[in-house]
Amino acid sequence: MVIDTNRCVGCWTCAVACKEINDEPLGYWWNRVLTTAPNQSTAAKAPASENIDVPYGVYPNVELAYLPVACQQCNDAPCVKVCPVQATFRREDGVVLVDYERCIGCRYCMAACPYGVRIFNWGDGERAPGGVIGYGKDYRVDGRLVFAPVRPKGVVEKCTLCVERIDEGQVPFCVESCPLGARVFGDLNDPSSDVSRLVRDGGAQQLHPELGTDPNVYYLPVARRVAAES
Amino acid sequence: MTARFSRRAFIGGSAAVAGGVIAADRLHYFGIAGDTAGTAGAAEDVLTGKESLYRTGHSNNCDGACGHLVHVVDGRVTMVGPAAFGSTTIDGRAAPTFHPRICARGLSQISNTYSPDRIKYPYKRVGPRGSGRWQRISWEEATSLIATNFQRIQGHYGKTSVWIAPYTGSLSLIEGVVGAGFRFASVIGASAGDSEGDNEGDSATPAGWNYVLVDPTNPSNGGGFFTGHESVDFMNAKTIVFWANNVAETSIPDWRIMCDARDQNGTRLVSVDPRFTVTCSQSDDWLPIRPGADTALVDGIINYVIQHRLYDEAYIRKYTVGPYLVDRATRKWLRAGQAVKGAKNPRDYVVWDDASSSLKEASDPSVASPAILGVYDVSGRKASTAFQALADMAEKWTPEHTSKVTDVPVSQIVELGRLWGTSKPLAVRAGFGLSHWYHGDLHMQALLTLQAITGNIGVHGGGVTTFAGGLTTTAFDLVDWWNPTGKPYTVLEPMDFCSAVQSGKPFPVKAAWFMIDNFAQQMSDRNRVIAAMKELEFVVVSDYVLSATADLADVILPACTYFEKTDLLSSNNFYLQYMPKIIDPLFESKSDLDAIRLVAEKMGVGQYFDKSPDQYLRDIMHLGTPKADPTVQGLTWDRLTSEAVHLNTDPMPYVPFFDKQFPTKSGKIEFYVEMLVPYDQELCDHKEPVEASPTNPLFQRYPLVFLSTHTRFRTHSQYVNLPWLKEVNNGGQGFLEINPRDASPRHIADGDVVRIFNDRGHLKVRARLTESMKPGVVNCYQGGWDTMRVKHYIEGHPNNLTHQIAKPAQSLIPNFPSNAAYYDCLVQVERSEG
Repeated sequence: MVIDTNRCVGCWTCAVACKEINDEPLGYWWNRVLTTAPNQSTAAKAPASENIDVPYGVYPNVELAYLPVACQQCNDAPCVKVCPVQATFRREDGVVLVDYERCIGCRYCMAACPYGVRIFNWGDGERAPGGVIGYGKDYRVDGRLVFAPVRPKGVVEKCTLCVERIDEGQVPFCVESCPLGARVFGDLNDPSSDVSRLVRDGGAQQLHPELGTDPNVYYLPVARRVAAES
Repeated sequence: MTARFSRRAFIGGSAAVAGGVIAADRLHYFGIAGDTAGTAGAAEDVLTGKESLYRTGHSNNCDGACGHLVHVVDGRVTMVGPAAFGSTTIDGRAAPTFHPRICARGLSQISNTYSPDRIKYPYKRVGPRGSGRWQRISWEEATSLIATNFQRIQGHYGKTSVWIAPYTGSLSLIEGVVGAGFRFASVIGASAGDSEGDNEGDSATPAGWNYVLVDPTNPSNGGGFFTGHESVDFMNAKTIVFWANNVAETSIPDWRIMCDARDQNGTRLVSVDPRFTVTCSQSDDWLPIRPGADTALVDGIINYVIQHRLYDEAYIRKYTVGPYLVDRATRKWLRAGQAVKGAKNPRDYVVWDDASSSLKEASDPSVASPAILGVYDVSGRKASTAFQALADMAEKWTPEHTSKVTDVPVSQIVELGRLWGTSKPLAVRAGFGLSHWYHGDLHMQALLTLQAITGNIGVHGGGVTTFAGGLTTTAFDLVDWWNPTGKPYTVLEPMDFCSAVQSGKPFPVKAAWFMIDNFAQQMSDRNRVIAAMKELEFVVVSDYVLSATADLADVILPACTYFEKTDLLSSNNFYLQYMPKIIDPLFESKSDLDAIRLVAEKMGVGQYFDKSPDQYLRDIMHLGTPKADPTVQGLTWDRLTSEAVHLNTDPMPYVPFFDKQFPTKSGKIEFYVEMLVPYDQELCDHKEPVEASPTNPLFQRYPLVFLSTHTRFRTHSQYVNLPWLKEVNNGGQGFLEINPRDASPRHIADGDVVRIFNDRGHLKVRARLTESMKPGVVNCYQGGWDTMRVKHYIEGHPNNLTHQIAKPAQSLIPNFPSNAAYYDCLVQVERSEG
């Protein structure tokens, strides 16, 4: 996936779309939108709503950008390595998934993930009114339970890249919903795909490349922005 | 409903959420006390029924006008996603590419429809008004109460003493801004709000638009109208100026079009705004302007363009009143009868013919090229061309003077002037923020003047656009819909409501029915509105949630959300989006059309409401008959209900006045507005805001300009109390954006409770210190609830501070006669102990 931060307006549509299709409990977000300075990729800071929309600089010399962050679907995923029961696994196509029937809730993966995108189900989640929503059914990959409308208590959950949708040839729901067209989904192994082209020619970058996790989520940088003169 | 439904969604109380990555990040993501929650049981949390899909339009008062794909399982909505738009017009031409669109609010509609805030049953008041004491009653009793009271009050005080409030909370056809309430008002002879739907703060810029582009006295103009360029037409602009228009936050899907223009065509994006909005952050240039000084900045650019001869001379000569002579003493048009011997038409305008060095009638075919600049002596009278008058007015607006008045640096004024004169076509997106000023009409008059002299009106990629689309087209025969008996309702502007109730002017109002309108919270000078509402003898409120307005009702009717009724959306784009009834009405809720029908039957006028919504839609469009407007000619019911089809517009994408036929008195663009001479506004010379100006003596006591803008996490007072959006939006709690340079001398730290006040009222919220605010300007997002049950501000509401000072000049435009100047407001801020 490639996310164009030059287009992202921080509207949280992708995050709410994720919340809807996965019926994430209140207070839990698999996908969040951070307020940052342009081209700043410090997910670890993750200040989110405490500084939402608060720009950097001094009026009128200010700047502002947004960074949507969910599971980076790493090729060399630390979460996979540390899982003592192989509940977190990387599928052949690169999607990193959690087997909810195997997860023992030790949360090593949460400690290992440098992007802070994993969530632990402490208890029965509280949900928005209206009953079960979103995909609404169990989904299994090779017999392993990688999606359930309500994840069991005591497991770790995270973005599945909408595996149930991409297996049907659809794009993840955040990609379909983004009103800016800022998210592009495709096959990074196919050099002719849009995502490969954007990575190759568009200057797309990974978050924290220095950590060697080699994410499959890339970000197009903020290209314009002329701060006001005073 | 199912057991799960009642157990999970409709019990009260609160539950705290613990843990998760959010807690680790110190986010304010936890529900506030009073949020409804339930505990999920795994066994019942799987969808097993067959899924059905419906396409509908999102009508809840947002110009995004998204299409929604709605998933339904076992009669319950389980998912909302973006829906596709059709690729052709009704008559089969290719329509512009229009991407599926949705935002966080649309996605949250499920929790809006299934909200615990829904009103389930009809109620009547049993305590003092506003006491919150209600008794559940039947629809039979409720509608009898309404019919009896309306008839009694109409009999005693006159027909118009019943006011059907404007309903702007939806932009659909049958139950929206142009909806059945107006039809009801007509058939019972009542008064009603203005059917253009431009009540409250959205009438000033349309009035200014009509001064310049429309003759309001010509009956064929219907009292004035307002439209703009189809949003995809911005792809044709070389430069787009967002003037007081935070598109990237308030009309998010339209921002994609601007990004496409930038990324595909290299279009330059410029933003003019006192706040550093997300739109400013994504623009190539941002001009941080003093609030309310917009006309001055336009004047500065007009002067720059004229001084540097960057205006479009041929366009001015051909399509504007620029060459017509003005008597500089009377400031009226010089007429041929006064200046041209043997004039064929003594009322004709007069021009100076350079070729013959003489005055001629404007319509004289021998005049090949009238002068656009020049001062002439006409029998001892000094006369000049209108363009000369404009140039003379603008002369004082040098970059330096403009900078002094607007706070915009000289270099930026010069650069924008150069851009405006050299980059063509140039399009303006003007937000309604520009309209929330006493002189909002003048803001628009000025922008149109500038666009006229640079040849940017009636061309692809030009114009001044706030919105455009279906409701502004001729596709719908609204006259017949509103007025089936030939006796139309009497208009009572929202701005006249208080005086009608409190002093009987222009006529007494004693009862009101508010539908899709949270008047008691969203109208300016709210304390005055609430006082007036309490003086009414009888108040009916239809709503789907218990709003601040419903708090003051005598009878409350439970309304449906758009999933539960049939309608049609055709707003801010040129697609017709049929809105089928997707699920049955929840509880005892009914559509407004059904509620009106029940009351109308008891008042003896039920025959005007005896058709189905589908039939009314067919009737309003004269579907399949020769009376159908060209824009819907050829449309079948099957096509209407199976896809979002584009109207037959010409040109494509739609551009108003593409044929350069202007429905003004002169047939030209009238940047010189003779009818405004009595108001000293025939030209767009800047005028200081009526309140929010340092020249106002009040400024000494209230030195901060108070804005109450829109956030992307609400649509006015809708989508406010929904858990997902509240989690992102500061737990739903309002806050004051204030620059640290204003906070520091007031000893205000980030997160402190502050009291914002003026002579009209006060508001208490926590402060958010941010460099997005211009020093001297503060902002509190409007729309949060201040009801008996739910308070999103610690005390009060932004509209406790705003006023209702109307500008007399606007009364010249019958459809846009008054405007609430929400942003033209001064306050003081102090730290509060809680």
